[in-house]
Amino acid sequence: MRRWLREQFDRYFGSDPVRLLFALGGLFFATLVVLALLYWVVGKVVTAGLEAWGWDLVRLLLGLLGVMVVVFGNALFLVWAERKVAGHMQIRIGPKEVGPYGLLQSIADSVKLLAKEIITPRFVDRPLYLLAPLLIFVPCLVAMVVIPFDARLQVRDINVGIVMILAFSSLTVLAIFMAGWGSVNKYSLIGGVRSISQSIAYEIPMLLSILPVVMMARSLSLKEVVKAQSPYWFVLVQPVAFLIYFVCAVAETNRTPFDLPEAESELVAGYHTEYSGMRFSLFFLAEYTNIFIVCALATTFFLGGYKGPVLPGVVWFFLKTYALIFVIMWFRWTFPRVRFDQLLNFSWKFLIPLAMANLLVTGGLLKL
Amino acid sequence: MVAEDLIKALEGGDLSIEEVPYQQRGYWFDIKAPKDRIVEVAEAIDEKGYYIEDILCVDYVDRLEVLYHFNHWEDPRRLSVRVEVAPSEPELPSIWRVYPGAAWHEREVHEFFGLRFKDHPNLAYLFLHEGIDFYPMRKERVEVPEEDRQLLNYLPAAAEEDTFWINMGPQHPSTHGVLRLILKMRGEYIEQAEPVLGYMHRMQEKMAEVRTYQQYYPNTARLDYVGPLAFSLCFVGAMERLCELEVPERAQYIRTITLELNRISSHLLWLGTFLLDLGATTPYFFAFDDREQILDLLEGLTGSRLTFSYYRIGGLYEDLNDGFLEGVKRFVERMWKRFEIYDDLVTGNIIFVKRTKDVGVIPKEVARRYGATGPTLRGSGVPFDIRQAEPYAAYGDLQPEVVVGERGDSYDRYLVRLEEMKRSLRVLEEALEKVPEGPYKLEKVPKKPVPGDVYFATESPRGEVGIYIVSDGSDKPYRLKWRSPCFSNLATFTEVVKGQLIADAVATLGSLDLVIPEMDR
Repeated sequence: MRRWLREQFDRYFGSDPVRLLFALGGLFFATLVVLALLYWVVGKVVTAGLEAWGWDLVRLLLGLLGVMVVVFGNALFLVWAERKVAGHMQIRIGPKEVGPYGLLQSIADSVKLLAKEIITPRFVDRPLYLLAPLLIFVPCLVAMVVIPFDARLQVRDINVGIVMILAFSSLTVLAIFMAGWGSVNKYSLIGGVRSISQSIAYEIPMLLSILPVVMMARSLSLKEVVKAQSPYWFVLVQPVAFLIYFVCAVAETNRTPFDLPEAESELVAGYHTEYSGMRFSLFFLAEYTNIFIVCALATTFFLGGYKGPVLPGVVWFFLKTYALIFVIMWFRWTFPRVRFDQLLNFSWKFLIPLAMANLLVTGGLLKL
Repeated sequence: MVAEDLIKALEGGDLSIEEVPYQQRGYWFDIKAPKDRIVEVAEAIDEKGYYIEDILCVDYVDRLEVLYHFNHWEDPRRLSVRVEVAPSEPELPSIWRVYPGAAWHEREVHEFFGLRFKDHPNLAYLFLHEGIDFYPMRKERVEVPEEDRQLLNYLPAAAEEDTFWINMGPQHPSTHGVLRLILKMRGEYIEQAEPVLGYMHRMQEKMAEVRTYQQYYPNTARLDYVGPLAFSLCFVGAMERLCELEVPERAQYIRTITLELNRISSHLLWLGTFLLDLGATTPYFFAFDDREQILDLLEGLTGSRLTFSYYRIGGLYEDLNDGFLEGVKRFVERMWKRFEIYDDLVTGNIIFVKRTKDVGVIPKEVARRYGATGPTLRGSGVPFDIRQAEPYAAYGDLQPEVVVGERGDSYDRYLVRLEEMKRSLRVLEEALEKVPEGPYKLEKVPKKPVPGDVYFATESPRGEVGIYIVSDGSDKPYRLKWRSPCFSNLATFTEVVKGQLIADAVATLGSLDLVIPEMDR
């Protein structure tokens, strides 16, 4: 049957130019049909959305676009900044060849990573292995939605924003463990297991250190938390909570001195040992976005968010956030790595009791 | 004295004990023992507190001679125990129950000479691959029996539940080179560690047998590329001892200066990489910045930055260049200030202290039975240093102080090495003022040494380097054997690592300061 069709086709469109014309025409019409369909579907969805939510939907779509821009721009900038900071701390200069002050270095790097072959080892657990780098990215995007960059610059102000962020940030562990388990590699597995116990251990004190803030702001919405810090920042009344939160933030983002899931000298590269090319860099993208998020949250909770004199709010927000990120980088290039049992002991035996006590004291004082 | 007591205990029966001139032979006592009494002799030696230096074999075609070298920390007079074995019946009792460190040396002898050790726990090949079909160091071709050719596959399957094998290396960030450790893990705890050597094996000792002494000399710098001068000096010193040469004073002083510079540079490299193992990246760059200054100085003097071939039998390749001594003086001044940075960055850092204190404790007894030397031994609190025990070069005049630790953990080994750098700086300061004028080499040096054997030991940054040369009067060595410090230090690691976390194992391994090519030879 196929051969017969082929013969008929050759009989009518035997010569090459005709065949080419036929193919191009077909392609043109197919594109037209697809575009029309797409237009129809999108139009339907948008009008339906507009009818339901009004201009809020456009705002949401624009906001998501903006979030993507911030995520990628931030990652590109942080890669460069980290190398530059590391360089200056280590009596080197850091990147300087590509662009002014090496600013375009991270773009060159990402182009390189994009061009690399993506290798999938033969015996991996395919669904888990392939999904992990994508899934690790979801919580980052969701958390970005509720962060108030300025008084009016926020994609969505959800009244339980804090709960949502905390809930979604736990998902990162799942992705890391999927990577560790799916790689079928002993080093990756150990890295994944470490990551789970580390996250569980450090999510609790993190939560406990945010609760006093919530109690003082009397709201779970991030915007309200910022507004509540009107005469003074919360860091002044809650210094202990701030310190606990910051330590936990470093641990949650798997940065030195708590970078045990990917401890280079012990586990080669931990959970992303078997990943290459763009998949590998997705893990890094997620890491840098996570750093940004935890620092942005620290700014929102403790450092008065976008508030500040003279300069516009968004500038203040980024200034504070990047100052905190600089501190985290500083940690990385100064400290050795802690041992695993020390890491867990520090959380369970020191941070959690301290956070509890802080919570109790805050509660008591507020009641008075 | 310990040695006299030992001789009294051993005397009688079919042992023959002979005192030999140290200045010509490099060891003090030559004990000939029949092969069935070797365990008994080893027990007597062990009782007196000797540590095991080396086991080696020499093939005299009509007989195989196995030599056991022992030395003592308090009474550093080397014993050499000789056992003759007929090539037709190459079997010998193993002494690993007395000295567990002997197990590795015996494995080495077995794979190179085909000597079987009875009662040995595991005669697997250490350096060679399992497919090799002859014993390479024998003077005549001897085939490996068919059943021995699979000797590398010695690992039992993980039969127990909850344990698994993990391969650390040969390509792993913290094994520094191509060391492979097979670890049996229970969760994150190590139950057993089995190092696999030989990824860098180059058959250096066989190479020596087919080259003249002068041709072989550059190879000595390629054994330990971090501290090559100690190895070069070991070879050169052995030749001078064999030929009974008196080296000019100036050459000896310059040798001492370069040796100490090399020691500092080696310790700096260790400092950087050790902290890299612990996850701290920045000290690495500071250490390398300092090391760079030394390499620049030595490059000006020797012409190379890594494998310096600067010494010659009977002196040096060239006299000091202009400005070398001033450069060293400048470096010493600069280096004194740098220790503050290291103290700020590392020594007081609470994470670093917690990671290394009480981690990888090597008790004195373990160090003795495995033959650990150098800073690894001194960290355990034993003030033993070849530079003091058997002064070579100009160390007779410039006695460096010996630094010792207390507990023998990784932190003590770190402190010992850091302090050793300071003592080396003091030696340098003293040596710079004392360098005498005069010739820097002997005018005439014999090409062929007299027949005989000689042992020579130096203190490399990692421990005692020994060389044993048998000369038959020709221009090539009949047999040349290196005693590598890392080989014995790594053997201690297998004992210490049991029950440790994998993170601690990395810290312990890093604190031993291993250089793989030196171990694999």
